[in-house]
Amino acid sequence: MTTISLKFSSAIQSKKSMPYLLILPAIIVILGVVLVPLLFSFYTSFTPFKLTKPDSLFVFIGFKNYIRIFSDMAFWEAFGRTVLFLAVVINLEFLLGLGIALMINKITHGQRVLRTIMMFPMMFSPILVGFQFKFIFNDNIGILNNALQSLGVTDQAIAWLVDRWLAFGAISFAEIWMSTSIFAILLLAGLFSMPQEPLEAAQVDGCNSWQIFKHITLPFIMPFAFIAMTIRSLDVARAYDIVDVMTGGGPAGRTELLWTMIARTGFDNANMGRANAMAYVSIILSILFTYYFFRKIIAARKAMGGDA
Amino acid sequence: MNIKQKLMCTIATGLIATLGMSQMTFAAGEFDGQTLRVKFIGGAQYEPLYALIPAWEEATGAKVEILSRKNHFELDREIKQDIASGLVDWCVGSNHTSFAPQYGDLYIDLNGLVSEDVLADFVPNALASSTVNGRLVQLPRHSDVSNLYYIKSLFEDDDNKKDFKAEYGYDLLPPETWVQVKDQAIFFADPPNFYGTQFVGKDEAITGRFYEMLRAEGGSIFDAEGRPVFNSAAGVRALSWFVDLYESKAVPAGVPNYLWDDTGLGFASGTVALNLDWAGWASFFNDPANSKIAGDIGIIRAPKGSAGIRTGWSGSHTFSITKTCETPEVAVSLIEFLTNYDAQMTEARTGLLPTRSVVWDDVVTEFKAADNAFMVDIFKTYKLSMAEDAFTVPLIPEWIEVSNALWPNLQAAMIGDKTVQEALDDAADLATEILEDAGKL
Amino acid sequence: MKKFKKIANWLATFAVMLIICIPGLWVVLSAFRPNREILAKPAVWIPEYLSFDNFYAIFGGGKALIAIPVPAYFINSIVIASTSTFVAIVIGMSGGYAFARFRFKFKNSIFLGLMLSRTVPGIALSLPLFMIWGRIGLIDTKMGMIIVYTALNIPFTIWLIDGFFRQIPKELSEAGQVDGCTRWQAFWKIEFPLAKSGIASAAIFAFLTSWNEYALASNLTRSTDSKTLPVGLMDFTAQFTIDWAGMSAMAVIIIVPALILTFIVQKHLISGLTFGGVKG
Repeated sequence: MTTISLKFSSAIQSKKSMPYLLILPAIIVILGVVLVPLLFSFYTSFTPFKLTKPDSLFVFIGFKNYIRIFSDMAFWEAFGRTVLFLAVVINLEFLLGLGIALMINKITHGQRVLRTIMMFPMMFSPILVGFQFKFIFNDNIGILNNALQSLGVTDQAIAWLVDRWLAFGAISFAEIWMSTSIFAILLLAGLFSMPQEPLEAAQVDGCNSWQIFKHITLPFIMPFAFIAMTIRSLDVARAYDIVDVMTGGGPAGRTELLWTMIARTGFDNANMGRANAMAYVSIILSILFTYYFFRKIIAARKAMGGDA
Repeated sequence: MNIKQKLMCTIATGLIATLGMSQMTFAAGEFDGQTLRVKFIGGAQYEPLYALIPAWEEATGAKVEILSRKNHFELDREIKQDIASGLVDWCVGSNHTSFAPQYGDLYIDLNGLVSEDVLADFVPNALASSTVNGRLVQLPRHSDVSNLYYIKSLFEDDDNKKDFKAEYGYDLLPPETWVQVKDQAIFFADPPNFYGTQFVGKDEAITGRFYEMLRAEGGSIFDAEGRPVFNSAAGVRALSWFVDLYESKAVPAGVPNYLWDDTGLGFASGTVALNLDWAGWASFFNDPANSKIAGDIGIIRAPKGSAGIRTGWSGSHTFSITKTCETPEVAVSLIEFLTNYDAQMTEARTGLLPTRSVVWDDVVTEFKAADNAFMVDIFKTYKLSMAEDAFTVPLIPEWIEVSNALWPNLQAAMIGDKTVQEALDDAADLATEILEDAGKL
Repeated sequence: MKKFKKIANWLATFAVMLIICIPGLWVVLSAFRPNREILAKPAVWIPEYLSFDNFYAIFGGGKALIAIPVPAYFINSIVIASTSTFVAIVIGMSGGYAFARFRFKFKNSIFLGLMLSRTVPGIALSLPLFMIWGRIGLIDTKMGMIIVYTALNIPFTIWLIDGFFRQIPKELSEAGQVDGCTRWQAFWKIEFPLAKSGIASAAIFAFLTSWNEYALASNLTRSTDSKTLPVGLMDFTAQFTIDWAGMSAMAVIIIVPALILTFIVQKHLISGLTFGGVKG
């Protein structure tokens, strides 16, 4: 132990290598678990690799998989739907999260309990969320249709998971239910760290509460919002579990997202090579989303006087 | 050959015979300390059989470790990963006749391993559809085929009889053709409280339903050269049957997401008039604790299509042994045990269709003795349909992939995204591409 | 008047919370009801029959034919989630400290690269990982899952902890060093205690991610040696039926520990996030 800490201390002395030494473990783990498998799957995207035919791993077919998917309308539909899905859920999660955070921020008693309740959906595994909403949205025995019929809102069995827009709404709802908490908790943290002086000054100046919100509160918490968006865009692919269970991308591809398409192509049809070509497109999409929010954070950090 | 040699011979044959016998009767502790790793299909209908395993364990001294217990779609995914990574560290797997051709040489040929005597007791058809490229890759456990259940009282109601005759010009009787089913379903439907019929609407399930309707209409999936031809006139008639019912709201709006549990529970809830389903649900339907229509159920053979052929999409749930299994003799002992007379009787009592000829008769005798006329009826109907109507899907490795190209298009026609012809043409194009990729065309 | 407003806001918030909770509470309630009542039509709104039967069934009691090995899943989940959280925090602290306290070449690119590694969808990662893990014998082991989840949690952990260390004035540690502490000692005695709640909030996020992850675990685990609770949920789905009541009971078993843990670290969570993350 002493030798290790001695070595460590001596490494600390050489200032130049020190930061690299500190981030080395992180880099090694990421390389092993993410980069190496990605290189492997990148290779397979140039082969006709079929799971049930292990030998096909060694056949090179150039860009055939990519040409195939780029000329496939179903792929582009799924691509467009995925972008729309990301845009819709992230924006709505932000708005709802903001509303919840503002409400809780005003409350002084029992806040700890409320915050825990607010985080309740975060305890649910995505796979569980999928099953839960599959049953809630069931057209025949689902609790939602039953409630609507009991309340006399409708006498129809609404096919939540079949209609084009209702189905998209249903999977978005499930995703939003699961993830709004993350926005709420981060925005609440933002509200907590807000200095009180500007607020009081504005009140003295006679600003109404909307003006205060718009000109003081919102700009202050926007960086927190970007953080939340970045975090969310980091793992939106979790929505795969939900959609796969609720609709499996159907009916007739109406809720097909890139991730469900990849899974069906790769596993059910065993066309891993082509699935990996699709996966690369989806990775690039995720990277673009994340990079976009990330730039905003860096900008916000600079604006707040820190060094990026 | 001198006497000594003769004697040796006799002893040897005697030994072999005893060994053979002991495998049948499980000499106590024969496989002491062995552990068999297995992957089984799970679910309420399948698991009563696994409850028998402790008896085998006790008899042989071996242990069974169930690694996976999930539905076959999940199991299929897992098995494909195992093949891809070369990590087949288990011995026995549940299999299905529609899926088996995909797995190549993962599973060993059971001819020779399972003795002729044992195989002779099985229904020849079930063994034939378990054979891929001349290799018996699986031992059938029970078979599926679907027949038509209906709510009796609806057909006995005088008002119904009168109104139906007035509207359709023929008598209201349990249907003989699929056209009649359609008429009656539309007649009985009163959405969202009551539906004429229903069908499974996604995955391989709807492919199978379409496939049998296609056969009943005189069409086929592939021609003699293996080219997809299901976008024929027969194909259009077959798919239109589903589309018409969906559009007339005679089936629940959610059917494109329905699988077997949805249709089974739907019929048991008493909100569906006619239900094409397998025998595994029969006792459930007739059990007052689960079903609102217990005692009011009729069963008839699956109706005919316009070609005069009855629908009869059939398959078998089976057990297979992997080629990497180090103790095939233990594995054979287990799968023989799980498909033996007593095991099949256990499954047949719940309505599963046996693959041993004699069990068909014995289970009927048992139900007769117990005064269970309903189950006697069920087994008589299913016996007839297994013998005369049943047919399997094309046993080619690409079947599941073709099915995955087909069913989203069937759905698209149902929910109005494509016309029937467009949907079938698109699916046929995709299927052709799949077969070309596989070098079959 | 002010008091009235306060009460109104409290009630409104309570209503919103209720709406958030209803889908989740429905699952919890289902855990205590039989299937035929949960999925009945017309719906049974007021439970007629509440019991622990579904829980008994999970453990092999009552009508169940085969017990679901929940204790094994539970232990696997605990071991995998807490070990990977701990390792991710240690690695994250070391990395986060480097990013907060040093200027070095390629700093921004390395940081961004680490973040982007998290954007790879699990579904794209699962098969290549499976094949590589298969070759080196990590399939169906707790170690294999721990390594994967550590990698999954490192980016976010580094990010939060980096933000947190930035918040602590450099001068504090420098003052400590002047007083004769090594940098190492200064870190443990001065900076670490101040960063505690930031680390706690990073830890709870990491723990929840590992505890609930399904896509990768469903591919990389095979048996009770390593199957986690979310993967165990699939034991309730079968060829023809989904045992929703049983699944709900299992869901409660998954949710309760996570909820208790979250409640305990609640205070740190907010303050940790407040100072971490943004402010430079």
